[in-house]
Order: sequence, then structure tokens, then C-alpha cells
Amino acid sequence: MIEYLLLAPVLISILCFFTKTRKQVESVSLAGSVVTLLLGLLLVVEVYKYEIIVTWQNALFADSFSAFIVLIVSIVGFVASLYSIGYMGHEYDHGVIEVKKLRLYYSLFHIFMFTMLLVGVTNNLGLWIAIEMTTLVSALLMILYSRKSSVEAAWKYMIICTVGITFALFGTILTYYAAVDILGETGDALNWTSLIAVADQFDPTIMKLAFIFILIGYGTKAGLAPMHTWLPDAYSESPTPVGALLSGTLVNCAMYGIIRFYSIASKSTGADFTGNLMIIFGLLSLGIAVPFIIIQEDYKRLLAYSSVEHMGIIALGIGFGGVFGIFGAILHMFNHAMTKSLMFFGAGNILLKHDTKEIFNVTGVVKTMPVTGAMFVVGTLALTGSPPFSIFISEFTILAAGFSQGHIVATVLFLLFIIMIFAGFFNNVSKMAFGMPKPGIEKGEVSRWTLFAMGILMVFVIVLGVYIPEPFYVMIMRVVEIVR
Amino acid sequence: MEEIVFNSGIMQLLIALILASTFLILGSTRLYSCVKAFGIQSFLLACVAWVVGFSTGKIDLYIVAFLTLIIKAAVIPYIFIYIIREIKVKREIELYVGISPSLIIGGVLVVISYYLIRSIAVITELSSFALSASMSLVSIGLFIMISRKKAIMQMLGILIMENGLFLGAISLTHGMPLLVELGIFFDVLIAVLIMGILIFRINKTFETIDTDKLKTLIG
Repeated sequence: MIEYLLLAPVLISILCFFTKTRKQVESVSLAGSVVTLLLGLLLVVEVYKYEIIVTWQNALFADSFSAFIVLIVSIVGFVASLYSIGYMGHEYDHGVIEVKKLRLYYSLFHIFMFTMLLVGVTNNLGLWIAIEMTTLVSALLMILYSRKSSVEAAWKYMIICTVGITFALFGTILTYYAAVDILGETGDALNWTSLIAVADQFDPTIMKLAFIFILIGYGTKAGLAPMHTWLPDAYSESPTPVGALLSGTLVNCAMYGIIRFYSIASKSTGADFTGNLMIIFGLLSLGIAVPFIIIQEDYKRLLAYSSVEHMGIIALGIGFGGVFGIFGAILHMFNHAMTKSLMFFGAGNILLKHDTKEIFNVTGVVKTMPVTGAMFVVGTLALTGSPPFSIFISEFTILAAGFSQGHIVATVLFLLFIIMIFAGFFNNVSKMAFGMPKPGIEKGEVSRWTLFAMGILMVFVIVLGVYIPEPFYVMIMRVVEIVR
Repeated sequence: MEEIVFNSGIMQLLIALILASTFLILGSTRLYSCVKAFGIQSFLLACVAWVVGFSTGKIDLYIVAFLTLIIKAAVIPYIFIYIIREIKVKREIELYVGISPSLIIGGVLVVISYYLIRSIAVITELSSFALSASMSLVSIGLFIMISRKKAIMQMLGILIMENGLFLGAISLTHGMPLLVELGIFFDVLIAVLIMGILIFRINKTFETIDTDKLKTLIG
């Protein structure tokens, strides 16, 4: 089962590479992403039934947490591939890219999907390898346009993330060292399934050191401040569907790495040490995002800083701990992925129409593109945590956890920051959404495909705000059990 | 068993030579000599892996040693030389920090690493020598990345850091499980190739590979 899920995107990528025309590559990619989505959902159902699946001599495995990541990756991946047809098609029609580039784009897109799925299902601290692979592939996607700024963003992204990930490797080595003491030098000594069982016997000094390196290393990739500096560049310079994948799924994959290590390290160092570190980095990320969101002039960078904010919120939720805190954080990973992708898609449509990323040069989107505009405004409300949308539920849960666990100062700061971000964010978006449209901008949507993709995400944003389906709830509760 | 490995004269000699090769990179202004010194460093690492493999009898380590030799001591230096030739980059490195201060900072970093590792009492005497060398490599690699202007030197800095971690992994745990080691080799190789592509791109769009020109995206 897991093998098929990993094999599918690789095959699709190879197929995409051998297509001749735009039509061919688009149909292969679309069919392929449907297959990946179905296999992903199938895996989720199977994990729901059996709780844990192990194959390939323990190298691959899936528990509820893996299934949760696979669910996010396959849903966002699917809608991003729908959106790509509209967005990249528009770029193709306007001569920005040629068939060769389009083919390359779809091939890399599916390889990127493969690496992110691999992060979820690796039963090994060698998860590091998969996360590094995501950096490599996405750097190539970033330089699809050979603009100066894209090349600069890709280089910074590559350098900062590779250095970060090198620190994470050091953390991994230290964890392995702690594990070897207990488990002996076997190939299994890096597997989650064997690690978590004996984690309480690990040397706490080593594990403290290891967790700090892991948090800095994967935190770089997850966009936690102050290691977030690559993130706004990368998000704003890559093609929009890729930006959505980066912000919706990639940061979650890195967060997944942190949380896995968190649950191992907490068993040996005690949850206070790891939790407090998470709270510090979480608050720092929220705090740094505030001024940049308020004064931002580029709407794609606005969304990027909002990602820094939301990663901070997830880190806070984990740091607060308890069932509520972790439940909120895990739910927030899902909600943020859906909402942020929706916002990126909206921003992409606005970019195609107006050909500028400056907030000041865009007005009256609601008038020129009624559907995109409406969804963009609703998405903004959802993203900033207003009821009755999904993010409100998870943020509220995390707030409640903060108070009930006695982290009063941190929670009050958290509340303060999200209120300031709400004001700053909404102020910026309302400039774009309302008012008279610029002369020369025709009324009309960019492409139906893009609206379809946004519509799917919209369903998640609205439904999860009022009702969490029973199986989904059970799944998250199981993840909470794994993390605690 | 471990005592014999890490206190043996040959290991200490190899590790000292690895440190010396790092200073060769720090003290050189010519790109070619930096790449050569990196090749030598990787070759010495392969020797370390081989010696540890020999004294512990782990077959995995022979494979790791062999791969280090092929990938890090031959293929990667070749890629570097290919890039240098193709983009006809000026063979001199431009620095933010001059050669003599660089060497002094390098020395200070080694001393700091040594005392840092010593202060972690948990780590046993036997591997602390190798581990402090490994920390020195990581910190000097980082220093090279921030003190050199050329994109190529940042790439080299990352690889020195990676070499340092490799040394650390071997001295702490006799290397990671083979599957993980293979994955890391694969990633390093692909990373070098992709950074190479990026350097070509930078050279094409900016007509230089000095990274101080990459300063437009701020805020």
C-alpha cells in the first residue's frame, strides 16, 4: 500500500517528462494527481482500520500521524495540480513559459509530491534525507522563471535550508548515539517504532542537546523565527501553485519532524524543557510576523509572513501541551494548510490579472473578479482567525490550553499578537479587495480550473469551522496519543 | 575495542591531518587549491572510516569508506573544477575577512570546540578528540560560508560542515545505519549538482557569482 503511494508520483513524473504537447502533459498530471489522492485516502482509511502499517522490512511505516501528513499532502497536492492547469496554462498562453518548461514543471511537481509523502511514511530518523530532498526539488521549481529575483530567492533558500538541515542531521546523530546505548548498533536503532518504546531511558543531557539542534534545524525549514529569513523570498518568487505547496504542506512536513522528535525527547528530558523551547520559538515567530504583516507592501510576502505566524501558533500549541494544546496544534496544521493554499490561489489569480505583487497597485478585486475576490476576503477572515471558520476553532483550542496549563503570560502575548495581525492583515487585504478597480483591468476570472481548486479548499475551511466529522476527530485524537 | 581505535596513533594522525586540510582551505585565496584541499580532506575521511571499519569489523563501514572516496574525494571535486572552468570565474577568492584574520579565527574556533566538547561530561574520553575535530569542521565550514563572497565557496562551506558531521557520526556511533548513510550520500551528491545548476543560473542572470549582488529581496 505505502509502496504504491510512493511509486505513483514517481511514475507520473517520468510520464510527464515524455509528453509532447500541453494537452498531454496536463492530462497526465491531472490523472496522476487523482491517482495519488485516491491512494493517499486509501492509506488513511487503512491506517484508520489497523492503526499502524509496516512494510519493507520496517523501512516504511504509517501510523495515524503519518496518515495525517499524507492526508494533507495528497489533498493540497491534488488541488494544487488542478490550480496549476489554470495558472501555468495562463502563463503558457501569454508566452511566459514554453512547452519544455511546462513539462519540466509538472515532472518536478510530482517528484516534489513524492518527497513530501516520503517524509510522512519513513519509519526512521532518516526522515532527514526526505526533508533535504524536498529542499532540493523545490529549489529547482523556484528557478522555473529565470528572473533575477527568483534565482536570488532560490539560492538563499538552498543555502539557508541546507545549513539548517545540517544542524538537524547533527541532532539526529546525537539521538542515534543516545539510542545505540540502549538498543545496540542495529539498523532498527533509528526507527520510531523501536525508539519511542525505550525513549524514557535515553540520556537526558544528550537528548537536550539533540532536541535543540533538531528544533533549529527543522525549525529553519518550518519557517520558525529567527530562521525564517528565506521564507518570504521563496514564497513570493516561486510559481503560485508551488508557493501553495510550500506554505501548505512543506512547512507541515518540517513541523512533523520537530513534533516526532519532541515526543521522543520529552520522554527523556521531561516535557517542561522541550515545551518551553517550543513556546519561546512560537512566540518569537508570532512577534516577528506582526510588524512585517502591518507594513507589508507585497501581498505574496504578506501571506509568507502569515505562514511564519501560523507555524508559531502550532509550536505554541505543542509547547503548551496537554490534550487540548496538542489537539489544537494538530488540527491547526490541517486548517492552516487548507486556508493558506486557498489564499495563495487567490493571490495567484490576482497576480495573473494585475501583473504586480504590490498591494498599492491592486484595487477593487471584488468587482473585477467577483468569485476570486469573495473567496479571497472570506479566506482572509478565516486565516486571521475569525469565527465561524476552521482556524478559529484550532486557535481557540490552543488559547484554552494555554490558560488551562498555566502559561498565562505566553497566552496573553499570543492573544495580543493575533489581534494585531488580524488588524494589519485585514487592513492590507481590504485595500486590495474593495474600492474602484484600476482603469484598464477588464472584468472576468482568469480560469475556471483555479476557481474549482479554490472551491474545494473553501469547503474544508467552512465545514471544519462548524463541524468536525467523527472519523477525523478519532484520527486527530490518535495523533495526540502518539505525540504525548 | 573503542579505546584501541580512537587512541591509536593512526587515528589521531588522520584527524590532525583533516584539521590541517581545513586550514589549507581557510588560508588559500585560490579556488583550485581550496577544491584540492577539500578532496584531500574527503580522502582522509575515507581513511578514518576504513580504519574504524577495520578495527570494529563492520562491513558497512568499508562500503561507506568506498563511497566517500568515490563521491566526496573524486566526483564532487570534479564537479567543482568543471564549474570553475565553465563559468570562467576569476580564480582568486574575494573575502570579507582577510587571510590572516581568517586563520586566527579558525584557530580560535578549534580551541572553543575543544573546550565545548570537553565540557560535555557524558561523552567519553575516547571519542572527544574526534568529536572536537568534528565540531571545529562544522564551525569553520560555517565561517567560510559567511566570510567568502563567491557562491562557490558557500557551497564548499556546506560540504565542509557535512564532512564534520560525518566525522562526528563515525566517532560517536561508528556511523549511522547503512541505509541512512546511503541516503545522505545521495542527498549530498544531488545537492551539489543542484547548487551547481543554481551557480550557473546566478552567473547567467547576474554576470557574476559574487553573492553580495544578491541583495534585492528584503523585508
